[in-house]
Amino acid sequence: MPLNAAARGLEVLFGLSLLLQTLEYLRMDRAMAADGLWPWYLQRRDVPNRYARALLDRVFARPALHAQLLLRLVAVVLMVLQGSSLALVLFLFISHVLVLLRWRGAFNGGSDFMTLIVLTGLLIAQCMGHVGKPELGWRAGLWYISLQTVTSYFMSGWVKLLQPQWRSGEALVVFLNGAIYGPLPTGHPLVRPLLARAAAWAFIVWECCFPLAFIGPFSALFFCATAAVFHFLVFWFFGLNRFFWAWVATFPAIVGCASQGLL
Amino acid sequence: MDGMAQWLFLAYFVLMLATLMWKTPVISGPWLFLLRAFFPNWKFFHAVGYAPRLYARTVAHGSNGQRIWGNWTLLYPRRTRHWWHLFHNPDTNLGLAQQNLAHHLGADINALPEGGDPGSLVTYGMVCNVVAHSMQARFPGCSHFQFELRMELDGPQHTVDAQTMLTSPVLPCP
Repeated sequence: MPLNAAARGLEVLFGLSLLLQTLEYLRMDRAMAADGLWPWYLQRRDVPNRYARALLDRVFARPALHAQLLLRLVAVVLMVLQGSSLALVLFLFISHVLVLLRWRGAFNGGSDFMTLIVLTGLLIAQCMGHVGKPELGWRAGLWYISLQTVTSYFMSGWVKLLQPQWRSGEALVVFLNGAIYGPLPTGHPLVRPLLARAAAWAFIVWECCFPLAFIGPFSALFFCATAAVFHFLVFWFFGLNRFFWAWVATFPAIVGCASQGLL
Repeated sequence: MDGMAQWLFLAYFVLMLATLMWKTPVISGPWLFLLRAFFPNWKFFHAVGYAPRLYARTVAHGSNGQRIWGNWTLLYPRRTRHWWHLFHNPDTNLGLAQQNLAHHLGADINALPEGGDPGSLVTYGMVCNVVAHSMQARFPGCSHFQFELRMELDGPQHTVDAQTMLTSPVLPCP
């Protein structure tokens, strides 16, 4: 896959991911009201500096936050339709950091982190493009995103491999039982210890081997396709829809970089 | 790509593995916490351990002024799955954020100095607010409530151990 196609694929898929996130934030507007579940007046004491706190008081006032989210929608649509620019990416980057601050540093954990990584990669690409090196910029940005994505699987796999409860399959069942969509039904295949162990090992080995995606485009496609299935299962059991989109958005970067032939 | 790039690639992942083995001092601070998205560690669901759970009960006052306690109820976000949640799932994500808040309260209480007051914590105030809303939704008209933060250790079949970390005073419903 040529780098420019990878860049465009990334912009479109990432735009979709940001669009879905922003629509969810807008829907949660009520929770962020003063009499809602997550009011700013309680949370503002988290901010240690009084000047920063005063500034954020204005930024997170309900009309300002609402306007920011609506502007973000416009920026995302522009990015999908026309491609990214330094101004768009800079705005999306600042907006994302502000929204994270509004949710005490993270709203949805890993998907927030991956969104920030993609925005950083896009910012690298745009900044270098702005100083006259667009191709080098995209190369650096896409490598940054793909390396971070592959690292996320690699670290997640190895950290599980070091845990006896993951190796026995017990951890998988415990986490699935504690998931937001409820405990596993009694007849579910993963309740059987042998199948739980086999599933846990399949995930661990696959995650640990993810750097092999860089061998070439076909290897990258294989790992990305299985990753899409993996993230769908994570959504299905844990409700983490944002993880699905945040990671899938990075797959064009992985395929694009693998096509350059590193290994 | 030349051989140098391949060696750098290999060295990077070896270094990543080494970070899992070496224990380094934990750097913390309010700004680092708020900006932690810049330092992801990618350790998802990595270990089974004690997990914080919120329990709450209603408190009513009888005609003689005595307290009438309701049953402890687990406030754990459970939702019904739909395929379209893949595209739009704010309620579930809000539930997950509330569960994370319980985790943060547990961590903040652990980090308190000896004799520290949990009531001074930002997370305590936020959890009080979340529990108050939840109790109001579950028990419309409830006047007062109390909540507990319990650390529970789950096994594959059932909870194997539970310890109460915090019991709140009786608080008014909003």
